Amino acid sequence: MSDHEELESNVAAWVLGALDREEAEVVQAHAEGCASCRETAARLQRAVTALPLLVEEVEPPARLRERILAAAAAARDATTAPSRVRKKVTFPVRGNVLAPLFGRLPAYAAAAAVVVALVAGLVAGELVGRTGQVPPPSQVARFTLSGHESLAGAKATVIDLKGDGLALVDFSGLPAVGQGRVYEVWLITSGGRADPAAVFVPDGNGSKVVLVNRALQGYTLMAITNEAGPDGTQAPTQKPQLYGTVA
Amino acid sequence: MGLGAVGGADSELAVAIAAGSQDALAELYDRYAGLAYGIALRVLGDPGRAEDAVQEAFLNVWNRAAAFDPERGSLRSWLLTAVRNRSIDYLRGRGAHERREQDLEPVASMVGAHSDPWHEVSLKLERDAVREALSSLPAEQRQAVQLAYFGGYSQTEIADMTRVPLGTVKGRMRLALEKLSSYLRGRGLVDV
Repeated sequence: MSDHEELESNVAAWVLGALDREEAEVVQAHAEGCASCRETAARLQRAVTALPLLVEEVEPPARLRERILAAAAAARDATTAPSRVRKKVTFPVRGNVLAPLFGRLPAYAAAAAVVVALVAGLVAGELVGRTGQVPPPSQVARFTLSGHESLAGAKATVIDLKGDGLALVDFSGLPAVGQGRVYEVWLITSGGRADPAAVFVPDGNGSKVVLVNRALQGYTLMAITNEAGPDGTQAPTQKPQLYGTVA
Repeated sequence: MGLGAVGGADSELAVAIAAGSQDALAELYDRYAGLAYGIALRVLGDPGRAEDAVQEAFLNVWNRAAAFDPERGSLRSWLLTAVRNRSIDYLRGRGAHERREQDLEPVASMVGAHSDPWHEVSLKLERDAVREALSSLPAEQRQAVQLAYFGGYSQTEIADMTRVPLGTVKGRMRLALEKLSSYLRGRGLVDV
């Protein structure tokens, strides 16, 4: 079998995305100089373009529309608005990185350790995937914040849009924040410095999608406290009861 | 700019999205979110990651709409191909930047994608035709295509899974796509 015949036999797999990366590069390079293979690829691509129509439509969660439109608006703002300067504040650090949040309550430390272990295991398992190779980080990462004590029924999902330098946080199960109060989102570095990231008031169902208009890179934790409204504070005034790792 | 495109053809939506119309992006979402989420869910089987893949695909359209060329394919094909590719990337733990396929350049587009504002009707007709075409294929050819496209398996992996020679898998994929392409063209459902 000639080189052309060998490569031409891979064109169907190429347009289906069923070649390993190295194989795909070889076929692509060949097709760029081979009119016959380009014609075959174009013909077969017609069928591949139609394949998504085989799938049944599934109604996505209503929040997805809000998430996408919020992220689109943020991405557009990020390209037009000047960056905002935020005052850096610091948690009163004692001991290790988790101490400011959890040091005075051993149960919190234990819970945080479990979260870290779970996230680490999940990420490692996902990254290894079916190929057995550890790939570069994805452009989107997902984290979970868990509620404790008075916020035990609350949770949040953090979508880190690394490529856009921002994150969306989907809160649910939050109790009413109280008259004149807001929930404030904090990002905490490994050194214990807490940067205010956003303030919000949940809707009547205890839900809210919040835009964090900054990159999560360099932070290890996200936490939420109840602070004075409408703008929150520059330093947390209470122990967080909803938190999780974002690294 | 762009509000007039809402309710119009996909190609007009692309122009409006490129100009920054959030209404046009919302319209695109309302048209294809169900299909997009269905694709991601079928590939990933995980609602959370399916949402992420769909979101990435829509933001890809939002951020790159100015580069969209209707002569090279429909907006719907671009979006849904991006959803499928992002989903496969998640499945294999790859970063999107590793992908070499040019998802901006589907070689042909479905005629129905240009049939707005009757897109719902034309979409149904197209889907019926594609399903009929696929069901006409021998089971082993259908399986090879579905394992590759929705399962994200390489042809070598498919050969191992189905315990047939690699050359047989290549032949099945080729025959399946040739038949599908011919069938769709015979029904006037592709442009070229």
